[in-house]
Amino acid sequence: MRPILCCAILASFACGCTALAPSKGGGQVIPSASRRVNPADIAVPPGYRVEVVATGLNFPTGVAFDDQNRPCVTEAGYSYGEVFTTPRLVRIEPGGRLAPIATGSPEAGPWNGVDFRDGAFFVAEGGEKSGGRISRIDANGTITPIVRNLPSLGDHHTNGPVVSADGYVYFGVGTATNSGIVGEDNFHYGWLKRVPDFHDVPARAVKLVGHNVTTDNPVTAEQGDTATTGAYVPFGTPTQPGQVINGRMPCNGAVMRVRATGGEPELVAWGMRNPYGLAFDAEGKLLVAENQFDDRGSRPVWGAGDLLWRIDRPGLWYGWPDFHGDRPLAWKDHYQPHGKDAPRPLLAERPNDPPAPAAVLGVHASACGLDVSRTDAFGFAGQAMVALFGDMAPEVGKVLEPVGYAVVRVDPSSGVIESFAVNRGGKTNGPASKLKTGGLERPIAARFDRTGTALYVVDFGQLAITPTGPTPVQKTGVLWRITREAAR
Amino acid sequence: MTWAHRIVAGCFIAASIVAGALLAPGCASARRDEPLVGPVELPTPELRMGQQVFMRHCYQCHPGGRAGVGPALNNKPLPAALIKTQVRQGLGEMPAFGTDILRETEVDAVADYMIALRQNKPDKRK
Repeated sequence: MRPILCCAILASFACGCTALAPSKGGGQVIPSASRRVNPADIAVPPGYRVEVVATGLNFPTGVAFDDQNRPCVTEAGYSYGEVFTTPRLVRIEPGGRLAPIATGSPEAGPWNGVDFRDGAFFVAEGGEKSGGRISRIDANGTITPIVRNLPSLGDHHTNGPVVSADGYVYFGVGTATNSGIVGEDNFHYGWLKRVPDFHDVPARAVKLVGHNVTTDNPVTAEQGDTATTGAYVPFGTPTQPGQVINGRMPCNGAVMRVRATGGEPELVAWGMRNPYGLAFDAEGKLLVAENQFDDRGSRPVWGAGDLLWRIDRPGLWYGWPDFHGDRPLAWKDHYQPHGKDAPRPLLAERPNDPPAPAAVLGVHASACGLDVSRTDAFGFAGQAMVALFGDMAPEVGKVLEPVGYAVVRVDPSSGVIESFAVNRGGKTNGPASKLKTGGLERPIAARFDRTGTALYVVDFGQLAITPTGPTPVQKTGVLWRITREAAR
Repeated sequence: MTWAHRIVAGCFIAASIVAGALLAPGCASARRDEPLVGPVELPTPELRMGQQVFMRHCYQCHPGGRAGVGPALNNKPLPAALIKTQVRQGLGEMPAFGTDILRETEVDAVADYMIALRQNKPDKRK
């Protein structure tokens, strides 16, 4: 028995190692007020070169190129951590000077991305306080909403946008919650205090199994007060087996589109948790980078990597809140967090079988803005360049090493993922602030210029995860440019 | 497989991991990012299949063979047989990938790919 006992001890030691190890997320650093920038600290494949285009950007989130191929950047005006500033669209002049084009309402942030078409910019106004909007911004800075009141007052926002060749603005609206049930995590994030009745909204009618979760009630001041909450309903509202939640447009957890001239939004895809990055491939198919489940809240989910989708058929349901890609969350024990219950299904009937994703990225990598390489001069034609914002551990769950903080290239036809731009230095990857270098901090968007020969990477800047929550550092954002030497 | 077999297999893996960790020189880096070490060479169809299996099933927890929500793979000198056993049985937080998920040829291929990835070290360019 002794050898077996020794082995059992060793096995429990090995099993316990990862379970007991502390989280080592890339954001688990002491935030610094300053940021050093050095392109030499970023590794790219041989023959490519990294340059700094602009520094001092305030929570930058997206880049687009005007008629003269000048980069124009959205500054969000909001960051996780409940830091509200003023959203702006700024043009980057030679030398890195910032020339404001338009300034939004402090209530309208975060401005999550921008595209340019036919003389106008199209911006996704995230809507953390006032609801999401897609707005047209003319060259003189006039802001004209073409869609209003998008339901994005919660965890995730109105994102994108990208304009198609036939004149539609495609955009994403993220879900209110992590996995369908409003809980204490949403109070901690801040929005449940502001809008206690807010919840997820499906595009089409869904029938519930009536699964409810009872938690402490942080909304009331009374000690020991509890609340029982079901899916797609406000905090403190239970649901019944067989209850039908009516669909509504505009919804959240979906990709929609609207004519660039305005009108009613149309459904493109639903059942997506946080469709953040949108881009078209060479065949005109829409690619979507989706941030997947966290290990937090009333229905935590473990081990769900971010997904890259290729949208082949409009109007399909893509699995949220009961699937990760084409796999149900009840699939064996693959999504059960350590020491917690496995996520139980919320829907009594699935709207359709979700398709398989094009690629499965790292858990908590935060796959954000992307673009598709379209020239042999830059290389990797047909592959998606995806900006990985990086983990927000331990808020979203534990990681053993930093995840993300890089630009990866993804072949949508094979699902193969390779690093394209990563920080040098250190035995592990991570943001520059953790590696103590001048490299990438939190890449949030990647987009080619009008020639297709220069990839611009928007770097949000420092966002530490401290014991009090997300702690962003203002004016530490950077715009990088990556070119191929032979193409210069 | 009985519970006794599972325990023995788990113990075998655990002992190997502990021994491997002790033998691993200075806890070497698991970074195999293409910009740092160059592309991993995959000369056979089996290795390329192993890469795709890895991308679909393994990458999300071990991105690029580094640690993520799961531990790093590239700095653990496990032989193919132990990799395959751990894939089939799971260990700790790692779920098991049974025959209903991965065919035997896919498990063989992913083990070979993981070894090729692990051997794609920075010093190969010297």
